[in-house]
Amino acid sequence: MRSLLLTTLLFIVAGAASAKQFQEHNALMDHGGGHLMDLGGGMVMGQNVDRIPDGCDGIAATKEITVHAGHKYAKKFPGRIYAFDVQEYQFEPCTKLTVHFINDDHVRHQWMMHGLPKYLYPKGMFHLEVTGPGKISGTLILPPGEKTYLVHCDLAQHMEKGMKGQLKTGKGSGDLPSIPGVTPFVIQDDYSKLGPPAGIKTAEAAAVASKAADKQEQPLISGVLVIGLAVGLLLTPFLMRKFKGMSAGEIAAYVLDVTKQLIGYLVRMLSWLYSRVSSLIGRKGSA
Amino acid sequence: MWRHAFSVLVGGVALLISHSVAAAVDLPPTIKVEPGKAEPVCQSNMPEWRDAQVIEGVQIQESRRCNPDNPTTVAALVKGTNNISMGALMDTYLAADAVIKKNDTDGDGDPDLIIIKLEVAELNGHSPDFQGVVPTFDIAPGIQPGMWVFAPKSRGMATKSFVGLEANPLLRAPSPVIRVEQGDTIWIQLENTHYFPHTIHLHGVDHPFVDSSGEGNDGVPQTSEQLVMPGEMRTYEIKPRQPGTFAYHCHVQTHVHLAMGLVGMFVVEENRPDNWVQTFNVGAGQVRHPSKAVLEKYDSEYDLHYHAIDKELHDIIQKFNDPRIIAKKMNREYDMTDSTEDYYTLNGRSFPYTIRESLIVAEPDKNIKARVFNSSVELLSLHTHGHKATITHYDGIEHNPMAQITRDVYNLSPARRNDLRISTVDDGLHNYGEGIWIFHDHREKGITTDGMNPGGNVSAIVYKSFLNEEGIPKLQGVNVAPYFTKEFFARQLPVWQGADAWNSLGEVDARGYDQPAAFPVDTSIAAKKANRKIPEASGGDNTLRNFFVGLLLGVFAYLLVVNREKVIAMAKSLTSSKKGGQSDA
Repeated sequence: MRSLLLTTLLFIVAGAASAKQFQEHNALMDHGGGHLMDLGGGMVMGQNVDRIPDGCDGIAATKEITVHAGHKYAKKFPGRIYAFDVQEYQFEPCTKLTVHFINDDHVRHQWMMHGLPKYLYPKGMFHLEVTGPGKISGTLILPPGEKTYLVHCDLAQHMEKGMKGQLKTGKGSGDLPSIPGVTPFVIQDDYSKLGPPAGIKTAEAAAVASKAADKQEQPLISGVLVIGLAVGLLLTPFLMRKFKGMSAGEIAAYVLDVTKQLIGYLVRMLSWLYSRVSSLIGRKGSA
Repeated sequence: MWRHAFSVLVGGVALLISHSVAAAVDLPPTIKVEPGKAEPVCQSNMPEWRDAQVIEGVQIQESRRCNPDNPTTVAALVKGTNNISMGALMDTYLAADAVIKKNDTDGDGDPDLIIIKLEVAELNGHSPDFQGVVPTFDIAPGIQPGMWVFAPKSRGMATKSFVGLEANPLLRAPSPVIRVEQGDTIWIQLENTHYFPHTIHLHGVDHPFVDSSGEGNDGVPQTSEQLVMPGEMRTYEIKPRQPGTFAYHCHVQTHVHLAMGLVGMFVVEENRPDNWVQTFNVGAGQVRHPSKAVLEKYDSEYDLHYHAIDKELHDIIQKFNDPRIIAKKMNREYDMTDSTEDYYTLNGRSFPYTIRESLIVAEPDKNIKARVFNSSVELLSLHTHGHKATITHYDGIEHNPMAQITRDVYNLSPARRNDLRISTVDDGLHNYGEGIWIFHDHREKGITTDGMNPGGNVSAIVYKSFLNEEGIPKLQGVNVAPYFTKEFFARQLPVWQGADAWNSLGEVDARGYDQPAAFPVDTSIAAKKANRKIPEASGGDNTLRNFFVGLLLGVFAYLLVVNREKVIAMAKSLTSSKKGGQSDA
């Protein structure tokens, strides 16, 4: 009985744990070298609040940004699964930048910046990591010079599937590839043979098509239209002569009759062809 | 003298002729193929990891393999990442909340609430930025199939270091063995870090159909719960009453998700006081901290997880980046009923890498427990050289001890688990003495890597006296260096190159080879024979038929001539009626 009670209690705790509340990771332990961590999986690496990079005459500006990460930010980028809410950042060189990183998913994400000077940032990296829903903040001082830095999440396939951005100091040094909504992939998928399969109904495609029909002007002369015109021109005098003096009922009966005859011919021809072919095959088979 | 000179002349000409004839009829020469650069058989740089040691109060058994598990990781997984020093945690790739252990509710000296976090990682996946795969996990030299695995929650990068693309050691095949204690409350929290939906089904493990909040707990989307979508988390709650060797796997599009690697072993250890079990056995293989109950009967314990890979399925995630295309190719175009397996792995690797990681290290007169799991789609026919082991458990349930079977081939149908007791008593039955005794699948394709042998799931039971200081067997057969080259598995090396002094079974060098005309034989006899044979073979029934056709034609012609007037009249009436019909219309 006691154990049952305990189990029930534990499961109640479990229920509470599974509906995880938003967690602020602001009680981090400092492990030195700009590395801070807590037991909930929050992590900052390469934190630098006061060391001025060589080549900077002090701090040029002090900025704070809030970056969101999660599955829902990929909605506007078809074929992506994860994304940041913002893909591009631009700051003056030597800016002291505080990043508030908010993870709206229930898994780990990272805001990892590469290419920083290694004498200031271990491995040349500034790194925020937090399991969502939660927030973690970190500060760095951007180096001098105009450069484009890669910002991404390094969990397996998160960058590949959309969680990638770039941070430029000054005008930057060009664009990085594969940033959702900014630059195309280097290696692209081949969409030429992709569906949807012909003849199926797709809700979105139909909507798009009807919209297209509303917007687009139909061309005045198409190939089928010309064929129709020619057939009409040739057939009308013949039919005029044929139906001269007939009533509507007679015309209908005549049309039916011709159709019946045509079908009859077709059927006979097909059966003849079939018997011919099958006899040939039979002969070959027996030979 | 003349006579002699003449014979010399004739002889010389004859010699010349015979020489030129010999040159023209020779077959192309043998050439030695450069074998390529061989990796060292063992390239581990952590020899101290092999020793028996105590870390954070946790007893770690010695592991005399080339690549032993990191003992600090083992300690963290035994104590829980919440109960070890930050320094120890920093020596691992584990997240701070990877395994939480607390609440000794029954007061027996071990924690009774275990919170296990699992992420989902893609190995050898596609990159839209460069040719190549990331993060890499080689199952054999140069062999990198795309895979998905459950992984203990890690921290930092997916790669081992900042240079190179090799996956961090927690991200590897197979999905890790999960070990829990009977009666503990276990929360398995699936943090879906992948780009597809997944769930966890606890195969054979005692679990209620719904959890405390009424949500599905069986992992089956069609019956119990919604999909765990990318970025979402779900907790599975269990309190297993029965011990045994079980399994867990994703139950979304199970046929392909399981094959992709989202499947692992799940072991429930018998309840004992002060029983801290090793929650994850990353990469399976030796359990460096066996449970109390196992140590009562055995000296060491090994988890052997067998899997197989169909290239055509595993290629899909390397060919495309758009998850919608991958889903279409995998769910609608890939037809598993037409599939064939190409790679066979033991604990995530194929030979020769198995001998770095998956050796069973033996000593005489000991008992070794091996838990064997087959997650491939075909029967596994496991054979041990030098040993006849006893099957003690089927699918986690102990077999009647009086009826237990001792044998040398253990059949495991898909999803089956066999617990084996490998006795090293040299009695001619259980063991034939010390040595390097391989064990492998005896469906012979299982000992190949995409058809190249040796490869596949071959490993070995190696006695310590046959093991060198690097944990590599003291092999006394052929040179194994070629197996550690990519060229071997790329089928570029003749398997028997250099097997003898003059390389008699080496590669043919047919470049510029001018094939001589074939030796003339009298073909007229053969042709005659052939000619004679054709009517003999098929003439019997033909003659008869030809005769009847002729007969019928003759009758027809005769009738035609006799009735020619009638026929002409009929033809005339036919044409006129047609004309008439047309004019009527």
